[in-house]
Amino acid sequence: MIRKEINRISEVGKALISVEGNPGVALNHVVELLEADTNQSLSFAKAINITEDTTRFQVFNGTQGLSTKTKIRMHELPLTAGFSHKMLGRSFDGVGHVNDGGPDILFEKELSTRLDTLNPTARLVPKQPLWTGIPMIDVFNTMVKSQKIPIFAGPTEPYNRLLSQIAQGAQADIIIFAGIGLKFDEYHYFKEELSKSGNMDKTIMFSHLAGDSQIKGLMLPDVALSVAREFGDQGKDVLVLLTDMTNWSNILRNVANYQDMIPSLQGYPGSLYSELAKRYEVAADIDGAGSITIIGATTMESLEDPVPDNTGYITEGQFFLENGKLKLARSLSRLKQQVNGGTRNDHRAVMTAMASLLADAEKAYEAAEVGAANDAFSQKLLRYRKDFIDQIEEPFGEPLQLEAALDLCWDVLRKHFEPIETGLSKKLTDQYWDLKDSEKGI
Amino acid sequence: MNSNSKRTGVLISIQDSLVKARYNENVIMGETAEILVEGKFLQAEVLQIVSDPKNAKLGIVEMQVFEDLTGAKIGDLVVFKGKALSVLLGPGLLTSIWDGLQNALYPLGKQDSYLKPGMRAPALDEEKLWDFTPMVKPGDTLYGGHAIGSVPEGRFIHKILVPFGFGKCKIQTIIESSLVNITQTVAIVTDEHNKEHELKLVFSHPVKSPIPFMERSIPKKTISTGVRVIDLLAPVAYGGTVGNPGPFGAGKTVLQHSLCKYALADIIIMAACGERAGEAVEVFKDFAELDDPSTGESLMNRMCIFGNTSSMPVAAREASVFIALTVGEYYRYQGYNVILLADSTSRWAQALRERSGRQGDIPGPEAFPMDIPDQIKGMYQRAGADTGSGGSLTFIGTVSPAGGNFQEPVTQATMDSTGGFWGLSQDRADAKKYPAIDSLVYTNSVYDSFISKEDRDQILKTLQEANDIDQTISTIGLKKVPVEKYVLYQKGQTIDFCVLQQDAFHELDACTRPERLQVINMAIQKLIKTPIHFSNEEGDVEELKEQIKTEFDQLRLWWKDWNANAKSDAELAGLPEQIENFVLQEQYA
Repeated sequence: MIRKEINRISEVGKALISVEGNPGVALNHVVELLEADTNQSLSFAKAINITEDTTRFQVFNGTQGLSTKTKIRMHELPLTAGFSHKMLGRSFDGVGHVNDGGPDILFEKELSTRLDTLNPTARLVPKQPLWTGIPMIDVFNTMVKSQKIPIFAGPTEPYNRLLSQIAQGAQADIIIFAGIGLKFDEYHYFKEELSKSGNMDKTIMFSHLAGDSQIKGLMLPDVALSVAREFGDQGKDVLVLLTDMTNWSNILRNVANYQDMIPSLQGYPGSLYSELAKRYEVAADIDGAGSITIIGATTMESLEDPVPDNTGYITEGQFFLENGKLKLARSLSRLKQQVNGGTRNDHRAVMTAMASLLADAEKAYEAAEVGAANDAFSQKLLRYRKDFIDQIEEPFGEPLQLEAALDLCWDVLRKHFEPIETGLSKKLTDQYWDLKDSEKGI
Repeated sequence: MNSNSKRTGVLISIQDSLVKARYNENVIMGETAEILVEGKFLQAEVLQIVSDPKNAKLGIVEMQVFEDLTGAKIGDLVVFKGKALSVLLGPGLLTSIWDGLQNALYPLGKQDSYLKPGMRAPALDEEKLWDFTPMVKPGDTLYGGHAIGSVPEGRFIHKILVPFGFGKCKIQTIIESSLVNITQTVAIVTDEHNKEHELKLVFSHPVKSPIPFMERSIPKKTISTGVRVIDLLAPVAYGGTVGNPGPFGAGKTVLQHSLCKYALADIIIMAACGERAGEAVEVFKDFAELDDPSTGESLMNRMCIFGNTSSMPVAAREASVFIALTVGEYYRYQGYNVILLADSTSRWAQALRERSGRQGDIPGPEAFPMDIPDQIKGMYQRAGADTGSGGSLTFIGTVSPAGGNFQEPVTQATMDSTGGFWGLSQDRADAKKYPAIDSLVYTNSVYDSFISKEDRDQILKTLQEANDIDQTISTIGLKKVPVEKYVLYQKGQTIDFCVLQQDAFHELDACTRPERLQVINMAIQKLIKTPIHFSNEEGDVEELKEQIKTEFDQLRLWWKDWNANAKSDAELAGLPEQIENFVLQEQYA
């Protein structure tokens, strides 16, 4: 097939190029950039803005070194993602090319990366719990298969460790790792962890390192999620790890600024919400097929920053990591009600009672800072708060089954309070308060 | 409009969902158009008409496209439709689930599990037969909005109307009582120019033209929402408007779902505008199993849902809210009490922001269009009570303020537009208090409550005083607070814990009806108004406070248990009795 070629680039900017006139390229279609004399392939690019006078492209490999004489060859198709079962255990870049030094892969099929919306009628209401062995999640914010949930954390928090720990425990058929703007050691860490736990043969890694071409980072979630969705359509339970979506949003911001779009907040384009939603909404429990669960990492300075703020409105809750602890106050699993009613009879009540006591304890803590927590109950609350942080909010301890985690909760309550002070019903305190260690089967 | 000449244009610019086309004849502001992309027609709407610098005789039209434009090229054909964006109105609306442009989602699902550009499905079932009974006869003179007959739609009588755009017209023929579907003609009328029009069970109506009131009136009758803090302190009346802002995680969704399940109304319309798909799915898949509180039928029988969720094309978000409003107005006109839940109006406003940004408009605060406050006011104005029809349209819009900051433009404009305001507070949500409506700072309502104004003020006053004491305790410590003040603080805590907080997932506690609310109010007023005399023998003030706390803890536990279990009249009466004993401290005598 002879493909049409364009011979002159009129503008070269950061990540973007333009050609004059209307060569007949369609929106979102891919072109290939070729060295003028040797026809050596330099990069692919995507048409993002077309008028009868100019056509503008996002260049996947960046624009450094491109000459105005660079040739543009039209492919007349949108970006697709190659798919093959042979991708398992391998690593790819943001547009789906092998980047682990291994042999190329012959793809079984090419997938659209448009991420069409799943018809809501094809969704199931998710009802299968996803256990992690982490008390703060399993007891207080139970996760559900097909949930989309990010970890919000400051840049120096161990969010990748937490992400990795959740992934190791999760009962998934396929793990898709999608890393954007990673430092090399982070990429290496995930690879090591997945290999160590024996999960590598069910994992596909898509990675974009900090300093790699921005456009490849921008594309990465679409390619990774298209592959994830294909496995989901084939009946697999897929877990997608997206880290770090703040890096991705920052690329989106950069590219929007290169395109002179009017910024809304902190330079981010007004479409930030929709762009994030388009990716997170791929998470689904599909009627008659598999499921896609997305756990993301969103680094931030403040929860009010546009990226975590918009993300919070999109995802089904969030985990909030601070000082290495999973904080109860700002963490939330919106789907927990779907699954925490059919567990042990004290589950919901313990969750509510401890949260309520912790809220009181936080107030006492603030009061204590000005020397106002001088009554006996405030002192109880302060001791409770310390144990709660050390024992319940600690995500990196030994994994606990739900029952053991609930027993731990009772231990903490019993240590600090009288039954009446917990707000728990007499029926429950009668059943669990005096439970001796020997009766718990330990 | 001349339907013979096909008015067309060609694309000359494509950027995301905004395109420009050069047209060949004329275009109408606001009309819809279809763009032929890779063999599929995509829906679009005219936003602006400008002159063509390259051709003084012709012009350029700017359009927003409601579907993904991948594959569109310069020169692609545009066909103008001559009709503004419209909604199909008629029997079968209830129980339906659509996307933001009224494509029915279940039939679309039979074509493909994914929503792809160019896919269409009829808004209403074209096969279903309806039992039509005529109400007029040949020769009768009618106007737009008059009924020509009716069909039963579930438990509702659905009047078949002459479309609202019609002027004076005369019935030529009308069918006898019979079973018909929505594609069949039921009557023929002639207009003032003697032109014939076929009337069917359905007609389409432009979404930006409000359906008129028969006789608009002030919303008076309070809605039982089942949510105690609302029905007591921040009520809403049939035909009223409420803004419900809150940061993410503060419980907007749970509250919306509660209203869906428990608010007493004939019809609930849900416009899921740019929100999570899963939440809409939960409503139409799980709520369908629940009973309508007033009839015992499936909850879905009183509902319809527009599911224009967050990953669907942004341009259709604006349309979805207007479509839902028009359906609401239509049922109000039919004489029914309708509640429209729009979640979220911020996503709607963001769609306008994205569009105006692409059009290069000068941005207002936070890059929203300058006229966003007027657009929001205009939207809420379409709600209202209609004594003429006996119906009403209540509009409850959630707002998702960026950063949870209520000073942002959409929240501010909403506060300015609505009669009620339910602000959800981050602090209450963090303390896992549901609903997180902050009754002191963020509630406001112009509507009547189920309790007297004096009682409502009394409760608010007590909560305010208790809150002040709470501040004092946090800053100078409990020791400095006198016993009477501490008792007042405990009273406030009790009202908050046992009345304002509610378990949205508990079968009994999730919904409180007015009769039960009256019992609770009796108890509250008794608790507030009676001074309680606590004393202990040693006279140790600190020990006394601990004793007071324990006694209130016990009372709260008892009251929570009552919330969860009291059903019979005798059990209900137990609460005022318990409070009576408590305030007299009889059990301690």
